[in-house]
Amino acid sequence: MIEQYHHKITNSFMLWFDNYLLEKGEAYTNHTGVSLEYYKDDRLDPNYKAYGSPFKQWVCDSSINGAIIPSSITVGNTPSGEYNTSISGRDGVAIDFENGRVLMETSKENLEITADFAVKDFNLYFTNETEEDLIIENKYEINSRVYSKPETYIQPYDQVIPAVFFNTSMSKNEGFAFGGMEETTTKIVATVMSEDSYLLDGVLSIFADSRNENITIASMEEHPYNEFNDLKTGFYDYKNISNKDNKCNGLYVNDVVTSKLTDRARKSLSNDIFVGFIDFEIQQHRFRHQ
Amino acid sequence: MAKISKRVQNDIAKRSLEANKRDLKRRFDKEFKEIKQEMITEFLSHPVTIEILAGPNNKSQRVSGTLNQVTNLFAFIGFPSTENPIKPILEILESTNYKQTKDGFDITIPTSEDVFRATPMPWAQGRSWAKGIESGISGLGYLLNKGSRSSRSGEAIQQNRNKIRSQSFKKTPYISSLIKKYKNKFKKIL
Repeated sequence: MIEQYHHKITNSFMLWFDNYLLEKGEAYTNHTGVSLEYYKDDRLDPNYKAYGSPFKQWVCDSSINGAIIPSSITVGNTPSGEYNTSISGRDGVAIDFENGRVLMETSKENLEITADFAVKDFNLYFTNETEEDLIIENKYEINSRVYSKPETYIQPYDQVIPAVFFNTSMSKNEGFAFGGMEETTTKIVATVMSEDSYLLDGVLSIFADSRNENITIASMEEHPYNEFNDLKTGFYDYKNISNKDNKCNGLYVNDVVTSKLTDRARKSLSNDIFVGFIDFEIQQHRFRHQ
Repeated sequence: MAKISKRVQNDIAKRSLEANKRDLKRRFDKEFKEIKQEMITEFLSHPVTIEILAGPNNKSQRVSGTLNQVTNLFAFIGFPSTENPIKPILEILESTNYKQTKDGFDITIPTSEDVFRATPMPWAQGRSWAKGIESGISGLGYLLNKGSRSSRSGEAIQQNRNKIRSQSFKKTPYISSLIKKYKNKFKKIL
């Protein structure tokens, strides 16, 4: 199927949300010299070996001032040059930003790899799950940003919290102007799950102020990740997308309401997490038949 | 023919205008009160209102059609059993009023936003349950309540939980359409 309006909206919204949170809230933590640990990943091509960090979702957006965006890694115990990025660039190495790891094109399982990177304070996920399933089921591991356990790798693929889960709950078109222009309204619910109330309040505060913000429409082609969750071109800057036409393209946050799970309700959860909701109403005036 | 003095003419005109105004106000007041009462009656006889007013243990009046008889709205939204969630809406509708001005009458009608602000979801204060009736509500309130009081024990409760989880809430027109309808009715008597 070719890309549809809904695909563009979800992609655009996610990229905007990520950039907005990282920029307005400086919602990331830099880590330097982190040792990456080898682990077996059956889903990987056998030519690759996974070396993981304790944190998921590294920051990949170069427009975020101060965030360390990894473009290479350091390999300590290999013959000089084999993974020397100044010689070979990113050849043989893929940085999996989503799962917080690097994928080495090698057969070696004992490499001493260290990396510098920034970790998002909140992981972002698109989901079709209901709020009930997200919150009640208690199925998410807490990947604390303040790491107290011995540093080891985190399992890939599983979703972990602190995180923001997005769900497009509703979309509708209504006549807006003569000539066939319609008002397309999309409701997106963001369920924020945090391990402390400070971070939760921060996210809610940032997005409570996002009313009337413009969102640049980005096609799926403009999504920064390739099949390894590495950057397609080795570089990603959200400002290159948001400034591409140098004009507003009419997608905007028409309304936003934030709320928190009350303490009374929170006490009946089996885990000690803080939950908030951001109800977005995104609108665009468009000719849907064109 | 005797002439009527200017002063008398003015006096007659003034009295006649006042009589007209009084008559106009009487008629307006009657029509206004009728429409206001009709609005409140329609609100109170709305299936959603009836189901919520029937309280947490209601099994016979699941009339809203929003939950496919799995549970009742009061329990689904998760109100505390002592709460009367309809009262704040009723108070807002009751506050509909008018005043006579130089040019006629000014009617103050509540907006749906006024109602949404006064109807917080019991488990997330920033959200409105009245708005949720129109746009959709998750079963979180119900599941959190069941989780706290009855834990996970009891097959019936567990079955109900599963039904709630698989059941999507059926949205239904409520406050916004009511207010829109009566705003138009009030406009007609202006």
